[in-house]
Amino acid sequence: MLGHILGRLGQALLVMLVMSALVFVGVYAIGNPIDVLIGPDVSQDIRLDTIARYGLDQPLYVQYFTFLGRILQGDFGRSFVFGMPVLDLILSRLPATLELTLAAVCGAALIGIPAGIYAGYRPDGLAAKAIMTISILGFSVPTFWIGLVLIIAFAVELQWLPAGGRGETFAVFGVEWSFLTANGLSHLLLPAANLAFFKLALMTRLARAGTREAMLSDTVKFARAAGLSEWTVLRRHVLRLIAIPLVTVFGLEFASTLAFAVVTETIFSWPGIGKLIIDSITSLDRPVMVAYLMLVSFVFIMINFLVDLAYVGLDPRLRRAGSR
Amino acid sequence: MSAEALPLLQVTDLATWFHARAGVVKAVDGVSFSLKRGEVMGLVGESGSGKSITGFSIIGLLDLPGRIERGSIKLEGRELVGLPPGELRAIRGKAISMVFQDPMMTLNPMLTIGDQIGLALEAHESVSGAEKRRRSIAALAQVRIPEPDIKIDFYPHQFSGGMRQRVAIAIALLHRPRLIICDEPTTALDVSIQAEILAEMKELVAELGTALIWISHDLATVASIADHVCVMRYGKIVEAGPVLQVLTRPQHPYTQGLLDSLPSRAKPGAMLARGAGTDAAPPPRLPRQAESGRRSADLPYVVIENVAKRFQRKSGVLRLLAQKAGLAGPLPLVQAVDAVSLSIARGEALGLVGESGSGKSTLGRMVAGIYAPDSGHVLLDGERVMSEGEAPHKITTRIQTIFQDPFASLNPRMRIGDSISEGPLAHGLVGRAEAVTYVAQWLAAVGLDPAFAGRYPHQFSGGQRQRVAIARALAMQPDVVVCDEPVASLDVSIQAQIINLLIRLRQELGLTLLFISHDLSVVRHLCDRVAIMHRGRIVESGPAGEVYDNPRDDYTKRLLAAVPVLPVA
Amino acid sequence: MSQALPTKEPLPAKEVSPTARFWAEFRESKVAVGALVVVVLMLGVAIFAPLVAPQNPYDLANLVLMDARRPPGFIGSAGYTHILGTDAQGRDLFSAILYGLRISLQMGLIAGSLAFTVGVTLGVGAAYLGGRWEAFIMRVVDLQLAFPAILLALVLSALLGQGKTQLIAALAAAQYAYFARTAHGAASAERSKDYVEAVLSTPLPAWRVVLKHIFPNCLPPLIVVATVQVASAIALEATLSFLGVGLPVTEPSLGMLISNGFQYMLSGRYWISIYPGIALIVLIVAINLVGDRIRDQVNPRLKR
Repeated sequence: MLGHILGRLGQALLVMLVMSALVFVGVYAIGNPIDVLIGPDVSQDIRLDTIARYGLDQPLYVQYFTFLGRILQGDFGRSFVFGMPVLDLILSRLPATLELTLAAVCGAALIGIPAGIYAGYRPDGLAAKAIMTISILGFSVPTFWIGLVLIIAFAVELQWLPAGGRGETFAVFGVEWSFLTANGLSHLLLPAANLAFFKLALMTRLARAGTREAMLSDTVKFARAAGLSEWTVLRRHVLRLIAIPLVTVFGLEFASTLAFAVVTETIFSWPGIGKLIIDSITSLDRPVMVAYLMLVSFVFIMINFLVDLAYVGLDPRLRRAGSR
Repeated sequence: MSAEALPLLQVTDLATWFHARAGVVKAVDGVSFSLKRGEVMGLVGESGSGKSITGFSIIGLLDLPGRIERGSIKLEGRELVGLPPGELRAIRGKAISMVFQDPMMTLNPMLTIGDQIGLALEAHESVSGAEKRRRSIAALAQVRIPEPDIKIDFYPHQFSGGMRQRVAIAIALLHRPRLIICDEPTTALDVSIQAEILAEMKELVAELGTALIWISHDLATVASIADHVCVMRYGKIVEAGPVLQVLTRPQHPYTQGLLDSLPSRAKPGAMLARGAGTDAAPPPRLPRQAESGRRSADLPYVVIENVAKRFQRKSGVLRLLAQKAGLAGPLPLVQAVDAVSLSIARGEALGLVGESGSGKSTLGRMVAGIYAPDSGHVLLDGERVMSEGEAPHKITTRIQTIFQDPFASLNPRMRIGDSISEGPLAHGLVGRAEAVTYVAQWLAAVGLDPAFAGRYPHQFSGGQRQRVAIARALAMQPDVVVCDEPVASLDVSIQAQIINLLIRLRQELGLTLLFISHDLSVVRHLCDRVAIMHRGRIVESGPAGEVYDNPRDDYTKRLLAAVPVLPVA
Repeated sequence: MSQALPTKEPLPAKEVSPTARFWAEFRESKVAVGALVVVVLMLGVAIFAPLVAPQNPYDLANLVLMDARRPPGFIGSAGYTHILGTDAQGRDLFSAILYGLRISLQMGLIAGSLAFTVGVTLGVGAAYLGGRWEAFIMRVVDLQLAFPAILLALVLSALLGQGKTQLIAALAAAQYAYFARTAHGAASAERSKDYVEAVLSTPLPAWRVVLKHIFPNCLPPLIVVATVQVASAIALEATLSFLGVGLPVTEPSLGMLISNGFQYMLSGRYWISIYPGIALIVLIVAINLVGDRIRDQVNPRLKR
């Protein structure tokens, strides 16, 4: 069991290392950072001096190890645009994105999973058909377009909810949260709904497919033959049978929602890291890009690791394999 | 009429139809029978006879679009047809319960055995936690599960198939139902486990006074457990009566035919009565085999020398690193075949018998050149079957294979004619011009209409597909054919036809056979010699008659004793 | 236990190929057939856009600034009705949508085909080769699947720069892994089936086993993935173009049309952004409906 966890942790570290190399090569080696650091009209001396100062005259692997060493000390460099340490910049924006992502993914799971189970339980019913129609829309319609429609409908026409920004926040342990104030919550609602829509469709479809298969399985038939009520069959048997794919998707989708927040944050001017990365891409702010990618990789790997642990908790067959 | 005088179960003119888009399928069509308290009834039939659907109709668990069309099912005088779902549920598991075929599929892999028994208990009673546990343990003890107080916290995957089926039976018996329906409960199990379950089931129902409906395709298991038997065909009961009477003096020609199809009742090597058919002769063989085959006639023909095969779970990258560094040991190996040596004489049929997991299929696949052995080698006529080197591949076409599952053994996207001619064309056995005639000749030889060469596998039944698979193997003009359970998934009457076909073609073509099977009676019927395989090793081999009549090895003795036998008149 | 319907032993009356059977089953769903018709129609108008559109929206000589931002139904200076209105440059929006559709479909199909080819080659190859190669390829694929396609496409298009080829490369790189995973799964399943073992024991050459036996039988699940991936490539391209890191302005896809109209949305000129959006959604929904039907068809566990 412990060996299994250690193994997974080792794998995670390896993946982080590979990612750091990829990011380094991708962002630093393609194109010349020196052109971004200094203007084209500076003298040759200053140019050489800058190259030496940034260690750009060193061989690539030396540069990589320097880069790796600095990262391990928490030094991601300074943003070209904001002129502040990248780590501080990102950490100041991270809570906003986490808040948005969590709200979206949890909302999607809380609505999507029960709806999907119902649609899978009575696949020929009218409600199931309605649920599936909505889900195929959610699955198909690009997130950014739904964002636009939400703004037009709820912010412009109905004027129920604000169209952008974070609203008032409330600080807990020095971190600002929107959902703790009524005003902040009203700002959170639209972007979270926007971001949740695709996930909602995905969770619904997954829960429905799993339930449909489980309902046809011998396990469910045998449980019914033993006289279990439909509610018990659903709650105790079906839910356990479909839990693993749901947890997988919950984890993976949390990660991908973090990435998709880029779109939603742009539309709703939500001051999170998604907005930051788009800005840094357009302004070629490399340190921010690198730090963002490393951070997101780290979050993904941690989530994958947690999902793996959840598997072991959920599936007794793995528990035994792990203990061997 | 007093309650005592009423039959326990009275089924009258039951009709269960499936309203599919293509039309109505009358799965059960006018079935009537009655069952007394504590009586054991066998319900026998081939696939599609409606025997399982009858069982599901009684317990009220029909899959859509199935529906009880007419008739009545009365349990102690109470009508079950048309009962609201809630009342039916109250009966299920309490008064009537059911055990299914595949114990690997019926239990929930995510819940402990104790949880699953507890859920079934709570379905009809409210019990405290401690009481639940106590009674669950008692239920496990009742079905002879050792150490029930420990096993109760196990998950299904920690149990073997036979143990799982016992758990399912424990759940079915939990509320001491008056009727228990078993739908092919031992079909997925090995013959030795089947014998244990049969004996235990017989004892349990006698002990509890529970009536039992035993649904099976296998006349012998029914004979060993049931008092009465109903024989079903096309949704109707064709014959019913006491087991001994029906099986020894069958009145209906269908029952007679079923019995005649059984190889255990025929003289070894003889054509089976039900499978008679007139088939055309296969096309003439090319001369090349005749020459190469004339080496040294007295030497063994097929030689399997010290062949071994292990399967290993794949290690991950880090695990490999850890292994290199000595931090972790290698994953456990599964020794499938452990240094087996065998030989088959020219023209001989060797039966390879074993239960699941014995390694018999792996050995067969190594003889057929599908797997390369880890060590040892297979020789045909002194020549190697596989090439040597890093990635060995098969180099001879003189050994061909026939597989078990007729639904998986043909490429679904290829016309059967192309499947048959592909190999011969690739190896130049026939030219493109003659291929059509060649295929037609082979189809005729296996008893199929040559006009079907352009059809696809999904258009054929299981037996027909097996004929195509035989034609495909034989069209390569092999000297040796490896048959891996070729009749295991076929109904007895179809099985008889395929057995007859194999007997006839073997004679006409002078084939050497390696016949792999778990079915001792089929092997005895078809084979001259037999080898018994157990845990990757050959425990006994010799002439078929000798091994069957005078087994020397303990395992062989147990295996032979476990086979249920039909009563003889 | 199976509650299979009883079958007699009918002899096949006439030849029915698996493809024909597949198609017959597909046609049972009216929704799916309708969706397929929509996809084919949109493909048709996209291909023949120059013939169908009232205007070539990118011929600057056709544009009249006076006609800019007019609502649907406006009769412009060229004398015909702008049924969907005009955009900020005075383009006929209907024509712009047809041309945008052309670019969007082109991107989706090219990127999808590229991802299909690369992914299927890797996936089937890994399944056939087995051993170290299989482990390595699938490890890389799994790793990549853990990262959302949008992030990968975003970073790649930022690194490679703007342009059609670059975007196609970014989209294909973000999507090939889905094909590889599916192809690998299907091919591994097929490889262990009896019919493949039968041809291995014939024996037939490896290329023949892979191309004639394994690959054709992996197609159904791959078609499902292909529909989903083409749909999502189109959506992804639109998203990237909307974010301004996708196609250059000279290649106005539907996503860019939506993006261009975004700024006019808040002032009530909704049509500039909404109509291209509707075209995009109808296309994606139709493709997904077709894919959904095929998914149900190829799922053996839902078959009775």
